[in-house]
Amino acid sequence: MDGLYPYIACLVGASALYLLLRPGPLVVKLLGTVVGFSALAWLVVICSQVVPGEIDPGHEILFLIFGAITLSSAVRMITHSRPVYSALYFVMVVLSSAGLFLLLEAEFMAFALIIVYAGAILITYMFVLMLAQQASESDHVDEVPLYDRLAREPAAAVIVGLILAGTLVSATTTGLTHLPDPVDESVMNRVHGELLEQLPRQFKNAVLATSPDATWPPTPDSSGNMIRWDAEGPFVQFGTEAVRIDPDQMPSNTQHVGWSLVASFPASLELAGVILLLAMFGAVVLARRQVEHGEDELRRDIGLDPMHPDEDGEGTSA
Amino acid sequence: MTLQLATTFSQLSLSHYLVLSGLLFVIGLVGFLTRRNLIVMFLCTELMFQAAAIAFVASGRYWFNFTGQVFVIFILTVAAAEAALALALVVLLYRRRSTLNADDWMELCE
Amino acid sequence: MTSAIAIRIVEMLPAVPAVPMADVVEATSHWWAGFILWCPLISLALCGLCAAFRVKSKLPAWITVLSLACSFVLTIILGNLEDVPERIQLFEWISVDWVGGSFVANFALYIDSLTILWMSFVTGLGTLIALYASEYMETDVGKGYARFFSGVSAFLFAMGCLVMGDNLLMLYLGWEGVGFASYWLIGYYYRRPAAVAAAKKAFIVNRIGDLGLALAIYLIWSTFGTVQYNELITHLDAGTFAASYEHWSVEAIPYLLMLAAFGKSAQLPLYVWLPDAMEGPTPVSALIHAATMVTAGIYLIARMYPFFLLEPTSLHVVAWVGGLTALLAATIGMAQYDIKRIFAYSTVSQLGYMFLGLGVLTTYGASYHVFTHAFFKAVLFLAAGAVMHGFAGQLDLRKLSGLRRMKGWRIVAWTMFIGCVCLAGFPFTSGYFSKDAILAEAFVTQGPGFEALGWIAIFTAFLTAYYTFRVWCRVCAGPVHFEPGDELHDDGHHDEEHEFHPHAPRFAINFVLVVIALGALLASVPYFMTNEVSEIKGGWIADMVNDSTAAAGIPGHEEHPGTIAHDAGHAHHGSILGMDPHVAMYWISGVVGGIGLFLAFWLHLWRRQDADRLRSWLLARAWIRWLPVAMENKWYVDEVYHALVRAPLWLLGHIAYGFDRYIVDGLLVDGTARLPRLIARWFQPLQNGLLQSYAVTMAGGAALITLLMVLMMQFFEGGSVQ
Repeated sequence: MDGLYPYIACLVGASALYLLLRPGPLVVKLLGTVVGFSALAWLVVICSQVVPGEIDPGHEILFLIFGAITLSSAVRMITHSRPVYSALYFVMVVLSSAGLFLLLEAEFMAFALIIVYAGAILITYMFVLMLAQQASESDHVDEVPLYDRLAREPAAAVIVGLILAGTLVSATTTGLTHLPDPVDESVMNRVHGELLEQLPRQFKNAVLATSPDATWPPTPDSSGNMIRWDAEGPFVQFGTEAVRIDPDQMPSNTQHVGWSLVASFPASLELAGVILLLAMFGAVVLARRQVEHGEDELRRDIGLDPMHPDEDGEGTSA
Repeated sequence: MTLQLATTFSQLSLSHYLVLSGLLFVIGLVGFLTRRNLIVMFLCTELMFQAAAIAFVASGRYWFNFTGQVFVIFILTVAAAEAALALALVVLLYRRRSTLNADDWMELCE
Repeated sequence: MTSAIAIRIVEMLPAVPAVPMADVVEATSHWWAGFILWCPLISLALCGLCAAFRVKSKLPAWITVLSLACSFVLTIILGNLEDVPERIQLFEWISVDWVGGSFVANFALYIDSLTILWMSFVTGLGTLIALYASEYMETDVGKGYARFFSGVSAFLFAMGCLVMGDNLLMLYLGWEGVGFASYWLIGYYYRRPAAVAAAKKAFIVNRIGDLGLALAIYLIWSTFGTVQYNELITHLDAGTFAASYEHWSVEAIPYLLMLAAFGKSAQLPLYVWLPDAMEGPTPVSALIHAATMVTAGIYLIARMYPFFLLEPTSLHVVAWVGGLTALLAATIGMAQYDIKRIFAYSTVSQLGYMFLGLGVLTTYGASYHVFTHAFFKAVLFLAAGAVMHGFAGQLDLRKLSGLRRMKGWRIVAWTMFIGCVCLAGFPFTSGYFSKDAILAEAFVTQGPGFEALGWIAIFTAFLTAYYTFRVWCRVCAGPVHFEPGDELHDDGHHDEEHEFHPHAPRFAINFVLVVIALGALLASVPYFMTNEVSEIKGGWIADMVNDSTAAAGIPGHEEHPGTIAHDAGHAHHGSILGMDPHVAMYWISGVVGGIGLFLAFWLHLWRRQDADRLRSWLLARAWIRWLPVAMENKWYVDEVYHALVRAPLWLLGHIAYGFDRYIVDGLLVDGTARLPRLIARWFQPLQNGLLQSYAVTMAGGAALITLLMVLMMQFFEGGSVQ
C-alpha cells in the first residue's frame, strides 16, 4: 500500500494541474494552487519517510523555497495565455534553478545557466515572439489569440503526465534506498587532491599558504604521489612532517568542471563547438528572407531597362 | 571561496532534487502537449532540458563527480543550437501562414 | 530360386521360368556406350541453338539424323560386344546413406540382350523416321522445324534412359521423359485446339499410369532396399529376401507396374489417349505412338518379369486385359474412316496382343511381336503420312482411291501393301510368325479361360486382316479418285482447289519407306534362324530374350536348368483341334487372315457398293443396328469416361473453385485483410495530423513502458529481498 502513495500524491498534483490548465474562475485557480502545493508537501513527506539519510535544515529550507519557486513558475509558464509572460516565467524558473545549483555547490553552472539561458536563449525567444506576435502588444485579454488561451486536450496530457510523474517519483523513492552511502570527507579530499596535483602552481601556492616555512618541493611517497589524503583532508609530506592543506585552498568548482571537460571529454567539446557553428549557419540560412529576383530586377540591377515596365516590382518579395 | 552549506549530501536530499526534476520534466511535457503556440512549445522543451540539468547536477553532487555538470554544459549547447534552429523554422512557418498555431499545420496526416 | 518361391510358382503355373542369372559384369571399358544417350542430348542442344539463331534450313534434321545414326551404330557395336549382362557406370547420380538404409541410383547403363533388342529398333527406326521427317516437315522449316527435331532428340534420349537405365529411377526418368516428349510432339501444332487437347489428354491419362510406377518403385525400394536391377535380380534369385516374399507389397508391385504399363502402352482402361495422339505430325505417330514409346509398357513388364512370376494372378490379368483390348480396338478400327485413326486403333490392338503374350508366358512372342510390329506399323504410318503430306492432309479413306495407279505414288502404295500384309498376318510374313507365337501360347499355357482368350485373339486376327486391307483396298487400289484435304500448303503448286495436284513424295520419304518395308519383311527371318548356343527355336530374338530378365516361355526352353519342361505343359494341356498348338496355329491363323483379306477385297475393292449395302442393311435392322453405330462411335468409351470421370471432376473442380473463391479467398484471406482495416478505422482518429496528438501518443507510450519497467523491477526486487 505504501508503494501507492507516490502515485496518489501525483494524482492529486495532476488534478491541481488540470484545474490550472483549464480556463476557469479565479477561485478554481486558487483551489488548484492550494491543492498543488499540498501535493508537493505530501511528496516531500513521502520522500522523508521512505528514503534514508540525514538532511541539513538550512539546506532543506533553501531547497524548499527555491523548489517551490521553480515549480510554481513552471506551472505558471505553461498556464499563462501570453507567450511573453511564459517566457518571463521561464526566466524565473532558470533563476530559481540557478539557486538550486548553488545549493548543489555548482557555482559555475549556476551562473552559466543564468548567462546562457536567461541572458541569451530567452532573449532570442523574446525577439522571435515580438516578431511574430504583434497581437499581444495590448493588455486586453480578448486580443490574445484563441489558440493561446485554450489548452489543447488538458485531460489527456495530464493523464500522461500523471503516469510519468508517478512512475518517476515511485522509482526515485524506492530506488534511492538501494544507493550506497553518500561520499564522505575522504573521498572529497581525494578528488580535491587529485586535481590539485594536476595544477602545479596552485598546488605550490596552496602548500605555501598553509605552511609558509616548508621547504619546497615536498617528498613523494613510494608510488611517486605527493599528496596523501584521509578523512581529515589532503596532506603533503615534507621529510617526516605531514602538512594538512587548507580547505580554502582547494580547487574551485569551476576548476573541477573545466578540468573534467577538457580532460575527459575533449572530443565532445569539439563536437559541441561544431554543433553550435552549424546551428548558427542553419539559423542564418533558414531565417534569411528569400528574395527571388525576376528577370526585370536582374536587368535593373545591371543597369538595363526592364522588359515589362508594367509588372515592375511585383515579384520582389516572396 | 566556496559555499559550504552542507557537509553531507544524503540520499534524502538527492531524492528531493530528483523528484523536483521529475515534476519539472512532467510539467514541461504537459506544457508541450497542451500549448498550441509553437514558440511556447519550444519553451516547454527548454523546461524539460532544465529538469534534466537539475537531475544531472544533483546526481553529480551526490557522487562528488563533475561529469554531471559537464553534461549540463552539453545540454546548454544543444539547447542553444535547438533554439536557434527551431526559432528559425518557426519564423519560416510564421511567414507562410502568419500564425503560430500548431494545429494549423496538419500536413502530417496526408 | 529358393524352394519357397519355386513351390509357389509350380503350384500355379505349368512352366516355371527360370531367371538366368549370369553375374552382372562391370564393363568400364564400354564407357563409350554412354554416347548412345549423349548423342540425342547433344542433338537436342544443337536443335535448340538452331531455334535460337533462327536457322532457316534443314540443318536441325541433319543434326538429328546424324546423331541418331551414331546412337544406332553404337548400339549395334555394343550388341556385338555384349555377351553377358553388363553394367556401365556413367556417373554417380543419387547416393544417399543413412543409418539403417541407403538409396543409390547411379546414372549407369544396364546392358543385357533385352536392352540391345529394344535399343536397336528404337535408334534404328528413330534414325530412319527422322530422315523421313526431314522431308515431311519441310513446310515448317524454321523455328518449328528445330522444335520438332529437338522434340525427337529429347524423345530418343528419354527412351534411351528408359531402356538402358541401370535402375528403376533412371527408368522412371526416361518414363516421364518420353511422356513429356510425347506431349511436346503431339501438341506440335499448338495453334490447333484439337492437338492441344490431345496432348493434354495423353499427358493426363499417362499420369495415372505414372502414379502406379512411382508407387511400385517406392514399394520395391522399401521392400528390397534397392532399385538397381542387378541387385534386385540377385535378391530374387538368391532368395535372401525369402521371408519378405509373403509381404503384401510383393503382391502389390506387379499390379502397380501393370497400371504403369497399361497407361504408357494404351491398354484397356487407359487407351483413350492414343487415338487422339494422332493429332501430332505423322512421323511422331510412327515413331512414338506406334513403334517405340508405346512398347515401353511391354519393356517394363519384360524387365520386371520376375516380380510378375512371383504373383501369377497378375499375369492372368495382363493376359485378359491385353486380349480384350485387342478385340475392342480391332472392332473400333473396323468402323473408322480416318486412316491414321484406323492405324492407331490397330496399334492399340497389336499392343493388346503383346500383353496377351506376356500374360501367357511367352515373353519371346511378345518381344518378337514388338520387334516386327515396330517395322510394319512404322511403314503403315509413314505411308499414311506420305498420303497426308501429298493430299493436303486428306486422310478419309472414302475420298482417296487408286493410289497405286498414280504417278509417283507406286512406292507408297506397295510399301503400304507390305505393311498391311505383315499386320494382317498373311502367311510367311513377319507378323504371321510373331502373332502365331502368341496365339499358340495362349492355348498352351494354363490359365483362367486362356483357351477362350486364344479364340478371341484368333477372331481379332481375322478382324485385323479385314480392317487392314479395307484401308489398302480403298486408298491404294480401285479407280483413281481423290479430293484434297483442308491443309493446302501455300507453295505455289495449287493456288486454287480445282487445280489441286498431289505432290508425290520425293527421295527421303521413298527411301525410308523402302528400307523399313524391307525391314518388315526381313523381320521374319529370325524366326527361322537356329540358335547357336542352346538350340532354341526363334533365332537370336529368342536368344536375346532368354538371356535377359524376361526369360520365360521360350519355345524349346527345356534345357535351361530350373525349368519345368515346356513339353510338360503341352502334354497335359494337349492340343488345339487335335494338333500341336504351334503347328495348328499356322493353319488357323493363315486361314483366318485369308478370310479377312478376301472379305476386305470383296467389300472394298471388287464390289464397293456391297459394303454400303451391308451397312445400310445393318442399320435398317433394329436388333443389329447398335453394332455398327457403337463401333463407329468407338463404343462410346470417350463418352463413358466423360460421364464417369470428367463430369464428376468438373463438378468437384467447380465445388473446389467455389470453396476457394468464397471460403478461402472471401472469408479467410479477405476476411483477415478486412479485420485490420476495421481495427484501423477504429484507431483512425488518432492519425489526425496534429503534432501534439502524436506527441501525446508517444509520451504516453514511453510513460507506460517506464511504468511497466519500474513495476517489474520493484516486483522482482521485492521478491529477491524477501
